[in-house]
Amino acid sequence: MDKLAELREKSDQARAGGGQKAIDKQHESGKLTARERILKLLDQGSFVEIDAFVEHRCTNFGMEKKKTPGDGVVSGYGTIDGRLVYIFAQDFTVMGGSLGEMHAAKIVKTQQMALKVGAPLIGINDSGGARIQEGVDALSGYGKIFYNNTIASGVIPQISVILGPCAGGAVYSPAITDFVFMVKNISKMFITGPNVIETVTGEKVSAEELGGAMTHNRVSGVAHFIDDTEEECIERIKKLLSFLPQNNLEMTPPLPVEDDINRTDESLNIIIPDKPNKAYDMKDIIYSLADKGEFLEYQPYYAQNIITGFMRLNGRSIGVVASQPKVLAGCLDINASDKAARFIRTCDAFNIPLLSLMDVPGFLPGTNQEYGGIIRHGAKMLYAFSEATVPKVTVITRKAYGGSYIAMCNKELGADMVFAWPSSEIAVMGPDGAANIIFKKEIEEALDKNAKRKEKIEEYRDTVANPYTAAARGYVDAVIEPSETRKRIISSFDMLTGKREQRPQKKHGNIPL
Amino acid sequence: MRRFNVTVNGKTYAVEVEEVGGQGGFTVQQVPVQQAPVQQAPVQAPPVQKAPEPTPEEPKTQKAEPVIGEGELMTAPMPGTILDILVTEGQRVSKGDTVIILEAMKMENEIAAAADGVVSKIYTSKSATVNAGDPLLTIN
Repeated sequence: MDKLAELREKSDQARAGGGQKAIDKQHESGKLTARERILKLLDQGSFVEIDAFVEHRCTNFGMEKKKTPGDGVVSGYGTIDGRLVYIFAQDFTVMGGSLGEMHAAKIVKTQQMALKVGAPLIGINDSGGARIQEGVDALSGYGKIFYNNTIASGVIPQISVILGPCAGGAVYSPAITDFVFMVKNISKMFITGPNVIETVTGEKVSAEELGGAMTHNRVSGVAHFIDDTEEECIERIKKLLSFLPQNNLEMTPPLPVEDDINRTDESLNIIIPDKPNKAYDMKDIIYSLADKGEFLEYQPYYAQNIITGFMRLNGRSIGVVASQPKVLAGCLDINASDKAARFIRTCDAFNIPLLSLMDVPGFLPGTNQEYGGIIRHGAKMLYAFSEATVPKVTVITRKAYGGSYIAMCNKELGADMVFAWPSSEIAVMGPDGAANIIFKKEIEEALDKNAKRKEKIEEYRDTVANPYTAAARGYVDAVIEPSETRKRIISSFDMLTGKREQRPQKKHGNIPL
Repeated sequence: MRRFNVTVNGKTYAVEVEEVGGQGGFTVQQVPVQQAPVQQAPVQAPPVQKAPEPTPEEPKTQKAEPVIGEGELMTAPMPGTILDILVTEGQRVSKGDTVIILEAMKMENEIAAAADGVVSKIYTSKSATVNAGDPLLTIN
């Protein structure tokens, strides 16, 4: 019985983390503990802990006298909505969640098991950074984590949840993973903190402004989701997982369809304003098309001129890339291209079919765009759509001009079905610009130049800026009534279920980064 | 009095900026630095109230969202033409109200007020051409 008593005592010690005082402090700062977070995220009673008895083995600076239960990280596996996931959560109550050799070894073990079995990995970050006492052993740990994140990339979905500080080199693990979640006032990510920045450049900036949730969701694009509380964040993670498969060899399990697949929506017939230069909200179209109007937006605050996110059609998970005419006229710029390209590759890696909703006037002009490398960034979208072998369906709602028409996935980039609404204007450039070039002479020679210009603009609009020229050449598969879009795209995705597309064998492509 | 180093075309000028009233106006005085010829200074010393030039420069070094005094400076999100200005100076607006219509990229883009408050200064005019980042108006 002594042996059993010893086991129980040791288990209790491990579970206590950094002790009641440290736990209280964690609660006072508005945060849950590592264990509480895991239990809230996983199905009740499903968590199985691994490596609970791991401790550090450092002997520098008096560390040999210091106990670190679990070495500052709780790891294991469990289920979410009945599906297996691997998880680790850094425990801030144990030496500030600092990462040493054994702490890293536990994370690496979890990563490797997730990869071996083929199940999503969720990492909850709440750490002061490298454990300085352990020196290069801590750095070695980080290196192994980054390496395993990279090896697992595109094989299993990797989700990073920032629920505390995540600074210095530590940020690169989340950065390599597929999805980064942050919570207002709790999450902080930066390479160098406010103090270092002030010493080096003299800039005064608060931690929240520098690396808070909104900064990374709106300004930097490092994070993909933001919430007000940890509880809301946990619900959003569960929602996201429902759209993802377990790994790159599986499909997302379809949900029972609770929405009419033949539902039509008359309001879509009048959603496009009569004047082609008036904006409308593309999200209204997305909500109308999706099963039960449900849409999980990816990076909702970053580069809002393009909308990305997940919806279900006929119960199946679909990735949506859509122009947003309401913001920056829906044009493509550096940030929008980066956001869309990353999302397209995420979907393609995990066998999620892509729906493109196009109303794009072009690439944003300007020196800052050109100097910033819009050529290189815009190329990512073309690359990502071309590379994607999942079923691809494109709906042109209005503008489809020039290179941006190609970048939003036209027929040539591999769209399996291209639909156009009657309001579509598919052309090399807008009627105003084009008429001025093509009919330059006629306009200049006319008595009333303005009248002539107007006449020619109309002529161009009638002959070219419509869906029928493209449809006559087969670049558009069908011109459809907007109200019928839902049933048409559902039918397309059903038809494409068995799609197989081969690519030449290669080590990897060379996407312009 | 605050001092800023403003670099224009590779030349650095030390500029002193003094806030004189609650309206967000500035006096800009130029202080020559060594090897900075005064007569070539593009940042001249304009009188109070008419200093839109240094305003977009100054806050950028500090924050992502430019804020002058208590006001919120709204800038053009992309290059285009001002089609209409729907507010006048002194008018009260609510966050999300359309304040300016900017024609760009074949579209009439509605620029919405970034904050609740009073339009304290309009820097642009109807049918003016603006570049991305040009100041449009300040809401106090």
